[in-house]
Amino acid sequence: MLRKTGRGLFALLLIVLEWTCPGLLSPLRPICDLRVLNHFIQEARDAEVAMRSCREGCGLTQTVSVPQTTVNFEDWEKKNALEQAEEVQTGLWLLQQALGSFGPSVTNTALNNHIDNTARNLVSINAVLRSLNFQEYTPPANASSLDGTWTVSSATELLQVHVNFLRGKVRLLLMDAPACQQDVS
Amino acid sequence: MTCDHLRRLFALSLMLMFCATGTTSLLQGSRNFEKKALRLLKEEPQNPKCFAGGMKDFTCFWVEDEERAGSLDQYTFTYAYQNENSSTCPLTTTPAAGGKLFFICHLKRLQMFVQMDIKVHREGMLIHNRSLQIELFFLLDPPANVTVSHTGQQGQLNVTWVPPPLKYKDDSMIYQVIYAPAESHLGQVEVARASSKVILRDLQSSTKYRVQVRVKLDGIAFNGYWSAWSEPVFIETLPAEIDPLIVSLTFIISFIIIVLVLITLLSYYRFLLKKVWPTIPTPDSKFKGLFTVYGGDFQEWLGHTSGGLWLTPAFIYSEECQSNLEVLSELSIYPSLPPKASKVSTIAMNNDKDTKTGSDDWRATSQDHWLLDRLRAFQQDPRPCSHSSMLESQDTYVALSGHRQSEDKHVVDTLEEMLPLEVLFASRKEARCESHSDLGSVQQNSGSGQLSSQSSFEYTNNVCAPNAPGYTYMAGADSGVSMDYSPMSRVDDIAKVVIYANEYKNEIPAHRGPLLLRQYHIHDDR
Repeated sequence: MLRKTGRGLFALLLIVLEWTCPGLLSPLRPICDLRVLNHFIQEARDAEVAMRSCREGCGLTQTVSVPQTTVNFEDWEKKNALEQAEEVQTGLWLLQQALGSFGPSVTNTALNNHIDNTARNLVSINAVLRSLNFQEYTPPANASSLDGTWTVSSATELLQVHVNFLRGKVRLLLMDAPACQQDVS
Repeated sequence: MTCDHLRRLFALSLMLMFCATGTTSLLQGSRNFEKKALRLLKEEPQNPKCFAGGMKDFTCFWVEDEERAGSLDQYTFTYAYQNENSSTCPLTTTPAAGGKLFFICHLKRLQMFVQMDIKVHREGMLIHNRSLQIELFFLLDPPANVTVSHTGQQGQLNVTWVPPPLKYKDDSMIYQVIYAPAESHLGQVEVARASSKVILRDLQSSTKYRVQVRVKLDGIAFNGYWSAWSEPVFIETLPAEIDPLIVSLTFIISFIIIVLVLITLLSYYRFLLKKVWPTIPTPDSKFKGLFTVYGGDFQEWLGHTSGGLWLTPAFIYSEECQSNLEVLSELSIYPSLPPKASKVSTIAMNNDKDTKTGSDDWRATSQDHWLLDRLRAFQQDPRPCSHSSMLESQDTYVALSGHRQSEDKHVVDTLEEMLPLEVLFASRKEARCESHSDLGSVQQNSGSGQLSSQSSFEYTNNVCAPNAPGYTYMAGADSGVSMDYSPMSRVDDIAKVVIYANEYKNEIPAHRGPLLLRQYHIHDDR
């Protein structure tokens, strides 16, 4: 009798906890529509154009590491999905770090808005990658230890790299994402 | 030995085939390059002009005059990707139209999404310098297999094509479809994004259309120039279909209009029938029994009718009432009448006064008595006439001159003796027949008459004796504006009368003469 009552209470407790406790989030719905990324690309382009017109108070205080944006399709197709995802996730992390160094040096309000928007878009792109079931990225301790990076010293170069990276590797990764390929097939 | 020969021949043929294939492809490639190069010469101002034909094909070129161009070894084409060392691209030359020379560099190993710096030197001197990103300079071939078909709906066409075979770029392509009637030079453009088909709408029916397609990368991830237009495809649209709603509405409205017209026609049936198909008057009512009893034999009818025969050698009387003037005119034929016109006119003018006492003014002859009797009968028993548009008043008399189509011994050409109409027209004020004469007003001729009278007159129905044969004369109604003349009665061949056509000469001679009734042959076409 007590066992039965205990089991019932336990079941009731589980049910209640299931309702109240948020617990683990349900897996995100895959975002396969490339128009989302296209939107980010266009905003990044606007930021680059705005940065070109900047003359004063819009430079980097130091050189920063940025991902290489070069894409050779033959070489890219030889890589597997994991390598591609890691390359993209590393690049996105580097860009986020580089944009973080912008803040104190940029005095132009409009450019500040562009930079903030760009930083938010990078977070959104990471969320898109998570929705496509890519492995969570573990950033390295030191960015300079990474291979396949460039260094830039100007804000214009940084934003240009940012645009090229999104248009190139990030987009290629999303186009060939296995989660999206399953929906198509 | 034979086998060796065969092997050599086989190898040789294979080599020739490969060479031919290679030559063909090279020729096609060169033709393709020339087409694209000519397009870029117009669109791209910078040098060198570069375009990517595919994922593994990037071409840069510039043009120089053949006379000024140096040898190929004088030129060096170097390129360098971002953060990389520079490389050299081997150059080739191709003759161009107009005495020019193409200098061409083909890059095979491409790196995209990175800036590339290009420098061209001639004998160590920089002649061209350019920085670009390869993925932004695509110049694709036009879409292949453009197919246009009917969708089944009115004014629509379905256009499909095969996109250029470029990986990763199907969703980045934008297409333009231009369509126009075959004879027109202006066309409409329809845009399609990331889709290899489009439906053209609002097209004219039964029209031959020309459709072409071109492609370009959308500019987000990749960019480039518009390709050349594909080969035109001609198709004729479906013929116009009649909308059943419009057809049914048309029928209903037509039916309603027809019904309304029929109702209108039926309500005015008698009036319209009278106008369109007027009843032809027949003299049956005037000659009672002539046609029914005697079968048209006038002689016999005359012999059996009561009331006397009105025939005289000189006159034929119509059923019209004799006017006083007519009475006078009859009398004037005979020598007993005074020949002077003035006297006659006086007599005419005094018609009203002498009407009742007319017997006192005339010579007592048998004919005179008869005339008097007729006059009395006329005055005592007026009967309306049946003609409303003709000259029927007994107050007036118009002497007519017409074509004489038969011998008329009795016709006296007394036109010159006619009195002026103002003298002739008696002022019969008390118009029993509602007729009046307006002396003194201006009157004008119209068409067929020559009325020089100064008076205008209007006549309506008048009394008449339908049983009695009357004069054969042309009655005229002169309202001062127009004249309407028509024969008053139909005359048989009792007396010769002049057939009077539509001509009317009413010339009043200067001198005055006795009023005479002229005889005319008249065709009464009633």
